[in-house]
Amino acid sequence: MAAVERVMSRRLFGGLAAGVAGGVVLGGCSSGAPSASTPLRVAAVNHVWTRAVRERLGEFEERVRRRVSMSLLTGDQLSSSYNVKLNASATDIDVMMVRPLQEQLLFAHNNWLADLSDRVQEPAFGWADFQAPPREASTTGGRVLSVPVVTERPVLYYRKDLVPTPPKTLAELKSAAERLTDRNSGRFGYVGRGQRSGAVTQWSSFLYSYGGDFTTDGRSAIATPEAIAAYEYYGELLGRSGPPGATNMSLEQAMPIFAQGKAAFYIDADAIYTGLVDPKVSAVGKTIGYAPFPTGPAGSKPYNIPSWSLGINRFSKLQDDAWEFIRWAAGVQLVTALQTAGIPGARASVWANPAAAAGFPPELAAAMQVNARNGVGHDRPEVLQVGRARDIVGRPLVSAVLQEQVAPVARDADAEFNDFLVRDNRHRES
Amino acid sequence: MANRHLKWLMLSPALLFVGAMIIFPLLFTLNLSATDAFGAVNAGADHIGLRNFADAFGDHRRFWPAVWRTIGFTVSAVLLETIFGLALAMLMRRAFRGIRWVRTILIIPLLATPVAIGILWLLILDPTTGIANHLLGALGVPPQEFLGSVRASLPTLVLIDVWQWTPMMTLLLLAGLSTLSEEPEEAASMDGANAWQRFRYVVLPMLGPTLTTALVLRAVDGLKTFDIIYATKGAGGGSSFEAETLNVYAYGLTFDYQEYGLAAAVLVLFTLFIIGVVLVLRRRSARSAA
Amino acid sequence: MKTLRGVAITVVALFFSLPIVWMFAAAFKTNVQVTDPSVGLIFEPTLDNFRAVLADERILPSMVNSLIVGVTSTVLSAIIAVPAAWAVGRFRMHRAGSLVLVARIVPAISLLVPWYYLFAQAGLVGSYTVLILSHMFVSVPLILWIMIGFFEGLPIELEEAARVDGLSAFGAFRRIALPLAAPGTATASVLAFVASWNNFMFALILSDEHTMTVPVALFSFISYAGTDWGGLMAASTVMTIPVVAVAVLAQKHLVAGLTAGATKG
Repeated sequence: MAAVERVMSRRLFGGLAAGVAGGVVLGGCSSGAPSASTPLRVAAVNHVWTRAVRERLGEFEERVRRRVSMSLLTGDQLSSSYNVKLNASATDIDVMMVRPLQEQLLFAHNNWLADLSDRVQEPAFGWADFQAPPREASTTGGRVLSVPVVTERPVLYYRKDLVPTPPKTLAELKSAAERLTDRNSGRFGYVGRGQRSGAVTQWSSFLYSYGGDFTTDGRSAIATPEAIAAYEYYGELLGRSGPPGATNMSLEQAMPIFAQGKAAFYIDADAIYTGLVDPKVSAVGKTIGYAPFPTGPAGSKPYNIPSWSLGINRFSKLQDDAWEFIRWAAGVQLVTALQTAGIPGARASVWANPAAAAGFPPELAAAMQVNARNGVGHDRPEVLQVGRARDIVGRPLVSAVLQEQVAPVARDADAEFNDFLVRDNRHRES
Repeated sequence: MANRHLKWLMLSPALLFVGAMIIFPLLFTLNLSATDAFGAVNAGADHIGLRNFADAFGDHRRFWPAVWRTIGFTVSAVLLETIFGLALAMLMRRAFRGIRWVRTILIIPLLATPVAIGILWLLILDPTTGIANHLLGALGVPPQEFLGSVRASLPTLVLIDVWQWTPMMTLLLLAGLSTLSEEPEEAASMDGANAWQRFRYVVLPMLGPTLTTALVLRAVDGLKTFDIIYATKGAGGGSSFEAETLNVYAYGLTFDYQEYGLAAAVLVLFTLFIIGVVLVLRRRSARSAA
Repeated sequence: MKTLRGVAITVVALFFSLPIVWMFAAAFKTNVQVTDPSVGLIFEPTLDNFRAVLADERILPSMVNSLIVGVTSTVLSAIIAVPAAWAVGRFRMHRAGSLVLVARIVPAISLLVPWYYLFAQAGLVGSYTVLILSHMFVSVPLILWIMIGFFEGLPIELEEAARVDGLSAFGAFRRIALPLAAPGTATASVLAFVASWNNFMFALILSDEHTMTVPVALFSFISYAGTDWGGLMAASTVMTIPVVAVAVLAQKHLVAGLTAGATKG
């Protein structure tokens, strides 16, 4: 205790406070008009893409003669910080990494994203080289507001030592999962997301493969027979063959269960495969097989979406340099390099390039090609308030996983979703 | 005369600082609560009077359950912390070998970072990969779902809160105990009172003021609990909103739904609610002291 | 009876220490071992996680940031809160004092957007200043609350005697009360520092890449493609060690400081 008093002595405090006060003054002067020393600020999600780009920043910084400062946050944190900062018309973000299907409509509504329509048309950039679904997701109200950099499809991860040939249909998947479930020895046939909001995107592929969608002609479609069948299927799959506590599971909980060898099948985004083959994280790396999304009553219709795009903060004072960054980060050269390193991008020419596929396990690369061909361009309702829509759509899904009666909950959610859509539409038009 | 000026001079920097930091947010939130702001706070919102408050009061899907959960969580956590804290304080009232170590162990939970603690409990309580079920299994207890189940989530969060804050209660009460004179207890002992009677009729009433301060403190922090719930259950407090308290609800309205007007109204109601709780607890203690 | 008490105390000590022990243990495990409950406390330890923490370009700088923000906000808070606490305690200004304590009641979410707005107007965003101010908002009421109890616990006779000897009221504070309250001030400062060290929500929104504090930097280990549990636990361990050191060194004082407010307030 005497030690603490010593540490807390006035002299030390005084010295530190004086030193810090100096730093405060300097730090406080950094705003105002940008100078050559103002860094280009990129707000990004903590993703393999971001880490790979950050390693290569040197070449870009040399080209524009400006330092780049890249922040790494989780998806939710990134979203919250946009909401706080852009509400104050902040200038301390230049390039924004956004989820086009989650945030872009809202940000466009708020007029937070700079219009890139003219910029993407410069011939050297090759906007037409981007796959059509991501390009559509990047365009709101006829204006291009972001450029896709990471794309995702679901893939069926399975254990080759337990499953000699992967199931081709959803029906086969369910029966195989049930057969392989042995609760007494702690092994589950299937693991996947069951958390209300987090599961919606993964469930979307099941919904489409049952012939349903979230909306038809602007009205809720989540109580159609197809949607109810998809809810019930997913509930039976995860509820009967999945681990306990499935409704609390998002990516963070589901993935370790498969990586620990406690589950035979796992459907989630292909972009996360690196985490499952890394021997430091995964006990099953060598035995993982990859298969395309199984076929349902309406075929195999997985989502194929741009998960992350780059946009420019409309309040940024470095918009030209910000565009330079996007041109570099989404250019053919870097996209090829990243895809070769196992990070799937959105350029058709790179997808067609066999050398760029060499980074993936061959079976995975093949599954990704199949999924991309069958893909649907969205994995969640296309509305302003995506968070709220996911909460509504996810409610029957949770009931299904909890093995409750789905139809009444789906009808109730359907009514709620219709009210929501009316209101959301009104906001969109205002 | 000099004192009059001096005392205000000494208090005013703190008052001015807190005032300067709080006045704008307060007015901002009050103003926002009377608008239909959606998407962005400055997006040409209309003033709609008290409709947000009416909407909140009429909302039986999210708002009222969140109110009852906030109350249930706080009351059960604070009650358990008081009972265990009191028991522990009585246990540790007389010195024993190793008391220094036990005291140190008790301090750590209340100094540790809530974000890290939330993640740690998630790891420990995972139904499939966590150590808790493994240990329970060794004792012959069937596996629990803990945070994974709708019904067990809130009680599990209460357990975590009890882990983190019972030590605080114990330490506060220990200090209270150390200031009590022993004479009344000795007198009661001479009159033939047993240990329980001495505790119930002599020690407990004397601890009254300490207990009230501790209760007020814990109640305010308990009502505002956020980090742990958010870290373990995510936005919305879980798949069936099973752990959504008012604070978590307001956070979701702000950052997940961008319903700034309604969120501000909920925050205003929430703040008034906390102030009400503090006033009631204080008044009760003033009465019991008199 | 005595053994019963011993058993009870042991059980309690285990209940409160085991989660922290588990965190320390996990810091020395591979990720495969962390999520495997059959690996208990006996395993071959690895230092890889700590290497990852050292190699992470954010954790160590963020600790420096946390230190700068924590020390500055604590010192400034003590400078304005300690005299205020004396005034409240000596001149029975509890009503005015409780206005400061309102800061403890207001939910943090209602502060974030307006604060950011204000600070952005002032051109302070991304500087240490905003972080320091926001952390002071937590520390000032905390120190005030603890120190009111402390000053009320000091015998007033000493100050009165000094006044008789010709000291002004301020002189009595400066030369008599303040030195006597030094242990209390130290304790309150330590607690305020810990509150700043642990603060997550203000730091998340108000800091940028260069002023980021530790609780935010922890999330380096949670990425889109999964969580590095081992690294996360190692980083949590690294950030908890200073706190545990404080607990071990200052436990007696901390207990006294925490409780001064409670028994007198």
